[in-house]
Amino acid sequence: MQREAAIREPLILGDKSYKDITDDVVGPIQGSAPIGWKIMITISSIIAVYGVGCILYLLGTGIGVWGLNKTVGWAWDITNFVWWVGIGHAGTLISAVLLLFRQKWRMAINRSAEAMTIFAVIMAAIFPGIHMGRIWVSYWVLPLPNQFGSLWVNFNSPLLWDVFAISTYFSVSLVFWYIGLIPDFATIRDRMTKPFAKKAYGLLSFGWSGRAKHWNRFEEVSLVLAGIATPLVFSVHSIVSMDFATSVIPGWHTTIFPPYFVSGAVFSGFAMVQTLLLIMRKGMKLESYIHVKHVEYMNIVIIVTGSIVGVAYLTELFISWYSGVEYESYAFINRFSGPYSWAYWIMMTCNVISPQLFWFKKIRRSLVATFALSIVVNIGMWFERYVIIVTSIHRDYDPSSWGEFHPTNIDIGVFVGTLGIFFTLFLGFARFFPVLALNELKTILKSSGENYKKAQDNH
Amino acid sequence: MYDDDDTLKTAASALVAKGIRVKEVYSPFPVHGIDPIIGVKRTRLGIAAFMYAMTGTTLALLGMWYFMISDWPMNIGGKPSFSLIENLPAFIPVTFEFSVLCGAHGMAITYLLRNGTLPGMPASNPDPRTTDDKFVMEITTEQNGLSADELEAAIKETELFELSTKDYK
Amino acid sequence: MANTKRYWSGLDELRETEAFKTIQGKEFPEAQSVDEFLTDERLESTHTGRRDFLKFMGFGLTAATLAACETPVIKSIPYTNKPEEVTPGVANHYASTYYDGHDFVNVLVKTREGRPIFVKSNTETGYGRVNARVNASVLSLYDEARLDGPRIGGEPSDWAKVDSVVSNVMQGEGRKVLLTNTVLSPSALRSIKQSGLEHIQYDAIDYGAFRASAEADFGVNSFPSYRLEEAETVVTIGADFLGSFADNVIYGERWAAMRKPEAGKMSRVHAFETNMSLTGSNADYRTMVKPSEQGRVATALLAQLSGQGSAGQLSDEATKAVVAAAKDLKRAGSKGLVMAGSNDLAMQQVVNAINAALGAVGSTVFYDTMTLFQGSSASLKQLTTDMKAGAVEVLVIADCNPVYDAPNASAFAEALEAMKHTVCTSMFADETAAICKVNAPTHHWLESWNDLQIEGDRIDLVQPTISPLHSTRMWAESLLRWSGKNQDWYTYLRSTHASDYTSDAMYTNADWNKAVHNGFIGVEVEPSQQVSFTGVGTAQAVSELNGRKGGAVEMALYQKTTMGAGQHAANPMLQETPDPLTKVTWDNYVTMAHSDVDAMGLNGFIGQEKPASLVKVTVGGSSMELPVFPMPGQTPGTIGIALGYGRGANGENIGKAAFQTGENGSFETNTDGNPVPVGQNVFPWANESGTFTDYAQYDVTVEATGGTYPLACTQIQNTFMGRESIVKETDFTSYFAERGAEKGKASWNELITLAVHEDVSGDGTIDAQDAKPTSAFDLWHEHPVEEVGHRWGMTIDLTTCTGCSACVTACHIENNVPVVGKDEVRRHRDMHWMRIDRFFASDYSLERGEEEGTSVIASYRKMEDPSANPQTVHMPMMCQHCNHAPCETVCPVAATTHSNEGLNQMTYNRCIGTRYCANNCPYKVRRFNWFNYPGYKKFANFNPAQDSLMRMVLNPDVTVRSRGVMEKCSMCVQRIQSGKLDAKKAGTPVPDGSVVTACAEACPTHAISFGDLNDKSAGVRAISENNRAYHALEEIGVKPNIFYMTKVRNVEPNKA
Repeated sequence: MQREAAIREPLILGDKSYKDITDDVVGPIQGSAPIGWKIMITISSIIAVYGVGCILYLLGTGIGVWGLNKTVGWAWDITNFVWWVGIGHAGTLISAVLLLFRQKWRMAINRSAEAMTIFAVIMAAIFPGIHMGRIWVSYWVLPLPNQFGSLWVNFNSPLLWDVFAISTYFSVSLVFWYIGLIPDFATIRDRMTKPFAKKAYGLLSFGWSGRAKHWNRFEEVSLVLAGIATPLVFSVHSIVSMDFATSVIPGWHTTIFPPYFVSGAVFSGFAMVQTLLLIMRKGMKLESYIHVKHVEYMNIVIIVTGSIVGVAYLTELFISWYSGVEYESYAFINRFSGPYSWAYWIMMTCNVISPQLFWFKKIRRSLVATFALSIVVNIGMWFERYVIIVTSIHRDYDPSSWGEFHPTNIDIGVFVGTLGIFFTLFLGFARFFPVLALNELKTILKSSGENYKKAQDNH
Repeated sequence: MYDDDDTLKTAASALVAKGIRVKEVYSPFPVHGIDPIIGVKRTRLGIAAFMYAMTGTTLALLGMWYFMISDWPMNIGGKPSFSLIENLPAFIPVTFEFSVLCGAHGMAITYLLRNGTLPGMPASNPDPRTTDDKFVMEITTEQNGLSADELEAAIKETELFELSTKDYK
Repeated sequence: MANTKRYWSGLDELRETEAFKTIQGKEFPEAQSVDEFLTDERLESTHTGRRDFLKFMGFGLTAATLAACETPVIKSIPYTNKPEEVTPGVANHYASTYYDGHDFVNVLVKTREGRPIFVKSNTETGYGRVNARVNASVLSLYDEARLDGPRIGGEPSDWAKVDSVVSNVMQGEGRKVLLTNTVLSPSALRSIKQSGLEHIQYDAIDYGAFRASAEADFGVNSFPSYRLEEAETVVTIGADFLGSFADNVIYGERWAAMRKPEAGKMSRVHAFETNMSLTGSNADYRTMVKPSEQGRVATALLAQLSGQGSAGQLSDEATKAVVAAAKDLKRAGSKGLVMAGSNDLAMQQVVNAINAALGAVGSTVFYDTMTLFQGSSASLKQLTTDMKAGAVEVLVIADCNPVYDAPNASAFAEALEAMKHTVCTSMFADETAAICKVNAPTHHWLESWNDLQIEGDRIDLVQPTISPLHSTRMWAESLLRWSGKNQDWYTYLRSTHASDYTSDAMYTNADWNKAVHNGFIGVEVEPSQQVSFTGVGTAQAVSELNGRKGGAVEMALYQKTTMGAGQHAANPMLQETPDPLTKVTWDNYVTMAHSDVDAMGLNGFIGQEKPASLVKVTVGGSSMELPVFPMPGQTPGTIGIALGYGRGANGENIGKAAFQTGENGSFETNTDGNPVPVGQNVFPWANESGTFTDYAQYDVTVEATGGTYPLACTQIQNTFMGRESIVKETDFTSYFAERGAEKGKASWNELITLAVHEDVSGDGTIDAQDAKPTSAFDLWHEHPVEEVGHRWGMTIDLTTCTGCSACVTACHIENNVPVVGKDEVRRHRDMHWMRIDRFFASDYSLERGEEEGTSVIASYRKMEDPSANPQTVHMPMMCQHCNHAPCETVCPVAATTHSNEGLNQMTYNRCIGTRYCANNCPYKVRRFNWFNYPGYKKFANFNPAQDSLMRMVLNPDVTVRSRGVMEKCSMCVQRIQSGKLDAKKAGTPVPDGSVVTACAEACPTHAISFGDLNDKSAGVRAISENNRAYHALEEIGVKPNIFYMTKVRNVEPNKA
């Protein structure tokens, strides 16, 4: 059995045995729902319903109910899309990349992070759908045989690349997530007493019984999936960024976008994970599994990615001046001094300045500060996308078409609505799913469990 | 049945040393190092995944060649639609994504099939506790030329937590 | 052997049971009728349980739903016997003439399946070029508000009744008056003479002073005809001859004939004006003067040129400008021309004196038999007083709307209401018709015969292109009937031109048929008399002008190119066509100089959510609240307001589009429940002090109210931010110096090049000289476009484009471009395929910023503000049909692709509406269907496709786009296809000029030309190879098929 240096902080606090882990995770599922959970899900589902209402109105009346116009053809819709996709990056990144790097601390958070990923990607997928003028023919983006025989899709279009990227990313993350869930469902199944619940979890667990051979395959599959998913994570946001990078619009046509978007995505993703975990940890008493050390690790990731993003912003500015292209340079001058400069400065403060606070160990390890900053960061990242999309096209090449964008209530309603749906889904997950990869945790109990570390020291 | 992965492993190796073949091990989590002891071979799922991915690549390239170049070439933004090579840069992303799609799903499906873990399958672990904190070693008389008593004796020597005997009909 | 086979209907028959016997031979075994069944009392005993009921309901509901799923059935009536001249799918063109009292044009009317759908200039045999108003007038034919028959006292009636009533009063005693606008029809005049009515004419826009001054100075009562094609120097004092002044339909083309840099012909135009007008924006030199100063400009010119009279005092720059103008006039001599727009006798007399002094009379200005504008506002005033006094028994009103546009409208309306016998022949129940006792609606011009004589040598014919839609009657025919002369109008008209005409000659007279075909009858010309200048009263006029005083704020009323005098208020297409200078749609407003706007603390930037400030304008006693548009080039201390708005102020039913629509398709209503008209009527503010109605007020007051009002602009950015690769301009001298330069080499149109890291210049070193044109850079080896089949392309000459917007309306009518209304335009959602970008010059530039050490950011800010009296560029912009179109690459479903004829084609029914293409278009010419315009309630009041009648005007060759798809200029692909088809039928290659887009066809100055760039002989190819030709935004390398021609201004180089 592999051991770990005692100086490393334990990842699992308290005197835990295998059984305790099981009980800590399965307990809440067996027990009845706490009042706090009930309140939260009520609020979020009300918001969700409102959002759905807005979407239906949009589909019934036309895209005109949004504030878009002849100059600004995309605004909140694609901003939200990119924002959600970005958030959806943390989960797979945590489970895949960190798995490859054998980062044990991931095990406490990967399950919920992956859940978040999946829900976030679902939210993201809503927008490309509803932003279409004719959603009822959205299936035309797939290369399906049709009565016109030779009528195919255009594989030159970044939007089509998106279709493939997003669908692949979503389904692969889902598979990855579920394969990890199967043994845990089995555990729950065997704990459950109520016949219906037993049946349900039995169904979900695919009759897993923990044979050595299966565990062997299980680890292989996780490893390979991780290997595949890692480049996938990076490819997805690179492709999303190509929607802009391959265009001719000053401020969009930028080769720096792929890495810049990916780091931005990880940045916002981790921020969202922080937000959710800190709530969940409190609500579900998981302090001994998700504790300051995990938070600190994630904050470090946030500093790194945040700084990359900051560098990217400055590089853009420099290049726009250095290129000497008048449209390019004007696009960026307009960003920080034009009608939408307020958005630009919100972005700068939230994304570049605020994460730097994490250099201080105190702040890095303070849960309250982390929670606050994680929200700030996500606001900032939303504005990043808004700035890139709206300020670039509202004043592009032909001054005669320079325009403005003003959001309508429907714009806002749809966005808030997706937040509602997202939290509803996540709360459901927290209630009925094993929120920790409990069986994986057991493997690290001996290496990183506090009590075992103590035992080591006594040798 | 054992209550710790390490005792399980020592026990297993002890028994195997005695030439007793362990039929199966049920554990709540992957017990590293048990496989060689009880003689579980390394899985070939990795290779399978690679195969699937390659199929994806080929399909994607073939498809795009057919759609964009062979079946109905169009002048889109003046871009060439004369040969696959000339258009390749635009085709890379989709090719990659599609390969990943096929690789991942192919492997996942194979994995579930080979395990026989599919929706609606009954649980086949001898004791519900094996998904919690207990480890079960399954040893049958058929596989070993020993009588039940001999086996029991041998097993008793290990740090046993619990022993249950069933006879298969 | 006999066939013994037998067939049984059933075993009963075989067994021949009783039951069978009874029913044998009956069609229905149960012989019970429905009534019997229903009256059967056994029914009473049966009952339907709740469950059954619910079942039935359920079934009924489902059935209904399923039935509703079926697509609606559209009934179409086939031609059982096909009219010989109508072939479904093939358009017919008929020569006709448009005349509305102001614009007079010979036109060709395009009809499809018997429906007039398009009006274009009759360039072969015709006079004048259609402007935006004439072009769009075809819509008014289908206006559902038109009177569908005669009315008496507002109640529907029939012609017999109306005839009896009116002829009775005509027999009666007393003074009987006919009030019309200027009547040009010999037949109509003849019928008036016969009817014995006293004929009084007045024009909505009065030009009386022109005729009066001609009478006084040359002894001929004629409206001057200006020969701008002869004039080398034109000085206009407030005459907007390219916009709305007088016979504008002819001036544009003639002016353009003298703006041909290639031919070395370049007239120079000096404009002295108050408002920024189209003419001013196209003038080489423009000087801002107040209305009260315009006269002194004239006197100063006269003094400069002939020493006659004395110059009144003028501002320094005005004086300087006058001196410069005088210099140019002297150089031009008899090839000079001075025009003044003000309808003021003194002014016109001084102008006559100047032209006489130049020797221009008989060279660039003629006083012959031009019959336009014979109206006299004086006699209308007289009539009004007589009516008040009860001295008029019967008043018949034709082709005019005095209650709306008469200078003393309110007084007139009062008197009219008081009268017993009033007849109005208007097509609509408009302001006048609404208070006339009898309405005898006349035909629309597309429905009626008529003959019009504008100049001595020809009588132009109006022929019907559709049989009357409603029970209407040409007003002149009504006159005949009422005066007891029962002759139908057509016969009467024929007999005017051939006294021996009988109905047998109806179709057989070859001359007549030829005349109808060509659209005019030639008549032998009497040589136009040589006029000589008498000059009586010049001195007195000079002193009058020099003595003119102006108050703190002066006002100049003007006509918009789109609305004219208001006849077209209910025309949605014109309402939505932006004003060429302000780019505002659906409103009139106060134009004010930026300096004044800032001084009064009003909003200086009209944006989507930045409404205009309201001000209270007071003229004499009356005052109105109007929004303020900050107008570059507006003379400080003056305001301008457009006439022709505020129709239907009392809720008269003149057409839905004339009123403001609320969010949900309901009309905005005012306090007394009437719908609120679009804009406000400022005709009452016309200046009545003199004999003639003048459209300037020398002392008005303007005060801020603090209120705001949204204005809908299609363009909110005024300047082009120094982006020379969009707009290229130069001055004539520099052009002339390099006129021979190879394309791309001339200093004023250099090819955009990029530096490369190889020794291109061959000077042994790699430096800034080593650059290649953008065409040399290509990421891939492209689809061949040169010399492969057709390659449709277009050239647009910025030198001759005046911004008149005729192309805009032409394009939109040809292509069924949806009208989306004020609110949507305000949200920048206009659907215009063809727009005219209007760029004002700015005082500021990055270079100047560097000199002054201003930061780049600040300089860009300053560059957004136009100068106080800016140079203007009008730049038509539509899809550039790029060979490397950015929009095509990004469409996921290949809905927009490149045709092998160089067209960027949009496949509506493949589009899924991601709008990516629009975002990626550098020219922003793509338009998205935000709503279901042909169906959504918000657009019910103005979208032609939503009106069952006006839908008739839609072009059947062009689909009406559905909700959620992208659309844009198709280069009139339907015309290209039909052109190719004709050529194919004729077995020839497509001849150059046989295919022409709507915009190119409509352009009065021939600035736009269209053709096949791969056709060596094509005119368009020659122009595209001219050294003035360039691609807008060439450096992006999208390789458009549309070329622009560098704008050449005839100004001194240092001023360029």
